[in-house]
Amino acid sequence: MAFSRAAKLTLAALLLAFPLLSDSFTAYQLGLYLLYGMVAQGIALCWGRAGFLPLGQALFFGIGAYLSGAALKADLGWALLIPAFAVACLVPALLAGLVGALVFNRQTGSGPYFSLITLALSMLGFQLANSLSGITGGFNGMTAIPGLPGIDTYETLYFVIVGVLVVSTLVLAHVMRAPFGQLLIAIRENEERLQFFGFRTSMLKAAAFGISGGIAGLAGALYAPHQGIVTPQAVGFVLSAELLIWTAVGGRFGLIGPVAGAVLIGFMAAGLRDSFRYWEVAVALVFILVVLKMPGGISGLFSAALSRFGGGSSTRHEAPTPQLLASKDQRAAPDLRFDTVGVSMGPVRILNGLSFSISRTGIHCIIGPNGAGKTSALNVLTGRLPLGAGEISWRGVSLGNTRPFIAARNGIGRKFQVPSIFPELSVRQNIEIALWANRIGTTEMFSMRPYGWTTQMLGELKIRFPFLMQSDKMAGSLSVGQRQMLDFSMTVLAEPDLVLLDEPCAGLSADETRQMIEAIAAIAGETKATFIIIEHDMQVVERLSDHVLVMHQGALLANGTMTEIRANADVARVYSGGSK
Amino acid sequence: MDLVVTYGLNFAYSTATLGLIVLGLAVVFGLLGVMNMAHGEFVMLGAYSALMVQQAGLPFVLAIPLAVIVCGALGWLMEWSVIRHLYRRPFDTFLATWGIAILMRKGVEVSFGREYQSVDQSLPGTVSLMGIDYPAYRLVLMAVIVTMFALLFVWYQRSNTGARIKAMVQNPDLAAAVGINTARLSRATFVTGVAIAGLAGVLLAPLVRVEPYMGLDYLLSSFFILVVGGLGTLEGLIIGSSIIGGADVVISAIFDKTAGYLGVLAISILFLWLRPDGIFSRR
Repeated sequence: MAFSRAAKLTLAALLLAFPLLSDSFTAYQLGLYLLYGMVAQGIALCWGRAGFLPLGQALFFGIGAYLSGAALKADLGWALLIPAFAVACLVPALLAGLVGALVFNRQTGSGPYFSLITLALSMLGFQLANSLSGITGGFNGMTAIPGLPGIDTYETLYFVIVGVLVVSTLVLAHVMRAPFGQLLIAIRENEERLQFFGFRTSMLKAAAFGISGGIAGLAGALYAPHQGIVTPQAVGFVLSAELLIWTAVGGRFGLIGPVAGAVLIGFMAAGLRDSFRYWEVAVALVFILVVLKMPGGISGLFSAALSRFGGGSSTRHEAPTPQLLASKDQRAAPDLRFDTVGVSMGPVRILNGLSFSISRTGIHCIIGPNGAGKTSALNVLTGRLPLGAGEISWRGVSLGNTRPFIAARNGIGRKFQVPSIFPELSVRQNIEIALWANRIGTTEMFSMRPYGWTTQMLGELKIRFPFLMQSDKMAGSLSVGQRQMLDFSMTVLAEPDLVLLDEPCAGLSADETRQMIEAIAAIAGETKATFIIIEHDMQVVERLSDHVLVMHQGALLANGTMTEIRANADVARVYSGGSK
Repeated sequence: MDLVVTYGLNFAYSTATLGLIVLGLAVVFGLLGVMNMAHGEFVMLGAYSALMVQQAGLPFVLAIPLAVIVCGALGWLMEWSVIRHLYRRPFDTFLATWGIAILMRKGVEVSFGREYQSVDQSLPGTVSLMGIDYPAYRLVLMAVIVTMFALLFVWYQRSNTGARIKAMVQNPDLAAAVGINTARLSRATFVTGVAIAGLAGVLLAPLVRVEPYMGLDYLLSSFFILVVGGLGTLEGLIIGSSIIGGADVVISAIFDKTAGYLGVLAISILFLWLRPDGIFSRR
């Protein structure tokens, strides 16, 4: 969104003055395209922001249109029309939210399942609209819908549409700027990592889809009085596909792009559809090109040009009031129990009767040869692998077959061996998300205050890892060592009670390894959290920890101080410790 | 008794035709991991091939080579220009093939018109079977499909190419390292998949309404069959077809077509919750 505030105000003023500059018929046409643009904005929220693609968005638009058409035909008067419009907005929103919750709860990422379900729903809606002729008027549509009372459809309705569009754009812009919007980008970038911070990503995605459904319903509610007729085409897959094209061509990463796409292609289609036979074929070709070569669409080209000429503004939210969050200083004693845990993948038994318990704070190290099941033990604890046999509990809470966000909400934080960050977010934004983990409430996701949050630990980490102060640098452009440090910092900033670190020094230089070890030791000392570290490097193990667990072939082989482990004959037989 | 035979034959028929429709997508999505959103449009092109052959007054059988050539050539072009650059970017493949699907629909709409058309049956009449009269074309079609599946299964299990494909599916890098030309093999697999879709279109053309948007239904039912049956096995494909086809036939018979559609959707969502990898999963 490289448009400055002045540009946006000019745009709004131009829209309002349009009927004066042009004729009222063109303005009437523009009104329709602006309504389509509103729906496209919702698609942009889902697709450009959160990275999942709804293919049947017309369904929600059409439901809104039928509901508002029915209300207008009942001749209710404004006092009842306003709540009726609210219903026309809420029903599609709830339906979209429900579908999202049903599907996203079982599928992460941007897989095809969600998109095809939405496409199927739109086709189902089309069939229903055709067959329920008692309600919808069937194939011929719901006809003779009166205009809004007291508002001339061909003169003043246009201004109502512009007003609603401005309000909905402002609302969506706020949603995108607020922490909720930043979390949506994080979902697009690395959904699993966000789950390990305790966020139930399926619900965030369902909420985004619900918002887009509500906006589509609102646009549909104005479509009914604007057109005076609602046919099954309003819920169908053809309109759904066109909405997607407008979003893509206009630009799916912002809010102005989708509207521009709908207006531009709308007017061009009106002029060319009859004279140029291959118009729709050409539009489909443009869509393919945009998808492959120009993901930012037209507005992406604009903002690239603007930034080349030094214009444009990197609109960052106004600096909010800093707020120092209290750190956890009271922590209950750790109590982690693995009781004859078994995990199998097909015929392979990854964990085979693993039993151990940890009831003391401090740093505990797990060592063992490759394939011993070290990472799998952490995976089953955090719900990344299904528990086949046995019991796992943390402070009395059974964690067998849990899910990552539940493990995180129970105070278990985790850093993977390969650093896992949000590459397209800045260092500051990565850190903000870690600070929000297990702290941010639903209403705070839509307020700007959490951007001001900071903790004492963050200050200390910035001294330890100075690159964290380059807050606007994209996390994806950091070196491997810096990514490891950022990932580690994010893990501990969430202030979990049990910190799981999987080879935190992998890929680090000797100097960086020393820095990392010092940071781990310092933070473990200060926070009184319990650390479990998987490590191959014996020097690291020796410096950090006096309690070592040795795993071999999916079970515990030995358990004791470093000196005891060194003296253990079994350990010496299967595993001779060494240094890097 | 007659009713049981009729329903049994209808069930077998719907399973067989669905199996034929899904086969092309199973090859492309199951083996290459390319969710080809234009799958249904290749079925549609097959049906239009049958229509063109009929309009030219030629024998119906000629539609088969025509559809295979048309779909194979388009598939080759599509793989060469778009798909091969995107094998490891599933979301982009998904988007690009959806764009291609729109393009194919609009292209056919411009060339042939939006309206429904029909292809005449080349084998009209019925055959008396176990006390009931059943359409001859349907019986022949079922026999053709079963034979095709059997041949394909044996070929995939026994042939060298089948073994190479399996190697490529499991580990493309290793397959390339041991000297398998994976780029060529992927292209051949993709072209085969869409040509099978075209063939399905020809065989089904006399039984359905031919129109530019007919492909969407085939795409969705194919995808739901793969969700239910699981990717990468023939057993899953057949079980998935019989569950989806059976549910559709039964629910549509009791209520109506829309309810059947809703039932298929509900089953698919249920499977996502209970068996996210389908009944037979490769893993």
